[in-house]
Amino acid sequence: MAGGALAATKGFRPTSGVWLVLALFLLWEVSARTGMVDSPNWPPLSRVVAALVRDTLSGEIPMLVGSTLARMFAGLAAGTLAGIAAGLLFGASTLAQRVLGPTVELIRPIPIPAVIPPLVLFLGLDNGMKITVAAVTAFFPLLTNTAQGLRAVEADQLAMARTFGVPAWRRLFRVTLPAILPYVMAGLRVALALALVTTVVAEMIAGEQGVGHYLVLMQFAGRAEEMYAAVLVLAFLGYALNRGFLWVERRSIAWYFATGRDG
Amino acid sequence: MTDLTRRAAVAASLGALAAPLAAPALRAQALTKLRVSVIPVLDVAPLHAAIAQNYFAAEGIEVDTSSTAGGATGLPGLVAGQYRVTFSNTVSALLGVREGLDFRFISGAARSLAQPPDTMAIVVRKGSGITSGKGLEGKRVASNTRNNIVWLRGMAWIDKTGGDWKRVTTVEVPFPQMADALVGGQIDAALFSEPFVTSAMEAQGDKLERIGWIIQETAPSSSIAQYVAMKEDLDKNGEVFDRFVRALHKGTDWVNAAAGKPELLQLVANFTRVPLERLQKVAFTAYPKEVTTAEIAELIATMTKFGLGGRYPAPADLIFRTAKA
Repeated sequence: MAGGALAATKGFRPTSGVWLVLALFLLWEVSARTGMVDSPNWPPLSRVVAALVRDTLSGEIPMLVGSTLARMFAGLAAGTLAGIAAGLLFGASTLAQRVLGPTVELIRPIPIPAVIPPLVLFLGLDNGMKITVAAVTAFFPLLTNTAQGLRAVEADQLAMARTFGVPAWRRLFRVTLPAILPYVMAGLRVALALALVTTVVAEMIAGEQGVGHYLVLMQFAGRAEEMYAAVLVLAFLGYALNRGFLWVERRSIAWYFATGRDG
Repeated sequence: MTDLTRRAAVAASLGALAAPLAAPALRAQALTKLRVSVIPVLDVAPLHAAIAQNYFAAEGIEVDTSSTAGGATGLPGLVAGQYRVTFSNTVSALLGVREGLDFRFISGAARSLAQPPDTMAIVVRKGSGITSGKGLEGKRVASNTRNNIVWLRGMAWIDKTGGDWKRVTTVEVPFPQMADALVGGQIDAALFSEPFVTSAMEAQGDKLERIGWIIQETAPSSSIAQYVAMKEDLDKNGEVFDRFVRALHKGTDWVNAAAGKPELLQLVANFTRVPLERLQKVAFTAYPKEVTTAEIAELIATMTKFGLGGRYPAPADLIFRTAKA
């Protein structure tokens, strides 16, 4: 209890970034209320929060968030597995890197929203397309990080394992894979943030699903409060996912941070 | 009871239990699924009415609407086979036809009224002094998309009111942002459609001024939008589309009978999410069932005049039997 109070006071030190957030919220409210910004597309924050609370209690927003997250995580899981597998191949085989490298480097910088129309052509408008979008988004950061991690595994560690007669498959699972885990986690963190963005963009462009579609529908219905409610939800989701990820990361590769390195 | 008969009895009772479960499944299988691309606008009210009143179900059709507010995925999705039917404005559909895509009109959807109010308007800043197309020469006019029905009728209005449409700069601005762009001075005029005209005039009527009804003043009772399908699909599955359009037209009758009544406004509010109180002030289109050769010919002529000419098939060849009067 006392610890919680202490944490709370620590969070609200005068130098805390929370104050800036609160100040911006206040500016939002005041600018809309006093007519500094006079447009139906700039409603006061209090009305946005009221719409958010109403649509959350009605169950609409929780359902939309659930469906968006389900698609995002499905894509993320598929993209992560494929990215790690391809990354291992790239890291382990110079031949693979030579043959596939140029293709990967050409495809990697393409902004995903630019290829959504052809994806609609081949994969339709529903989950298949949106999950693929999230998967492709996750694939490249995982691939590059895994390949880089594999190349960075310390030769000394492997040599020592070999000296002790550890068989190859055990070396893979007990030395190599744990050693690249911090790199994989770093790639996953990037992928997580990007996958949320691209999933929502895909929902905005096509189909009738998720937070993205809700946002556009409300924009076209002239309901700015609901539109910003969706924006707030996305901001909160992005923040929460990142915090949640850091929490998982600190626990899953505690040994890495214990060596004094910082993720 | 012998082992065999016991087993038979168990099987029979299981069968009896399963029968009512299987029956609806079989019935559901018998429904033909049709995926229809729509946009959340007033014009598609008959389709939603036909869904809500179970007219499609009565024809053995299950309609799955896919609504996209912002993007133009409707016609490309139809070509790709993602949809069987797409709601489209006439200009976009005809441009596809010009490019060799085998679109056919299977039903009318929206037509402008003979008298004001109109569902589309041209709006300027109050006090800008612009009152006609002549005043717009050298200025920036916003349209939601270039080369669609809104743009075409806007250019026709500029032409009719003494302006040279080629000397007007068109910029693409989504409907929801038009009023802000106009008030902020980024554009000089905007080609609006409902319900955005009503919301703009309601919220910023002190700063904005409507100077014309772009369709009603250039082509009263003219074509705005239709339901479109692919010729190949119609040749193969014409009977499915007969049923689809029969149900859709019952929805059209329902909407026409409910014109101005609260049940129609509630239906529209449900699928557009536009607040009910705003819808009460919004202008509606006429909801036709048929597509006439005359309206298509008029549109092709107008398109040709405003730079969208080319080789078009005879209008009669573009109209499927379900859309003929």
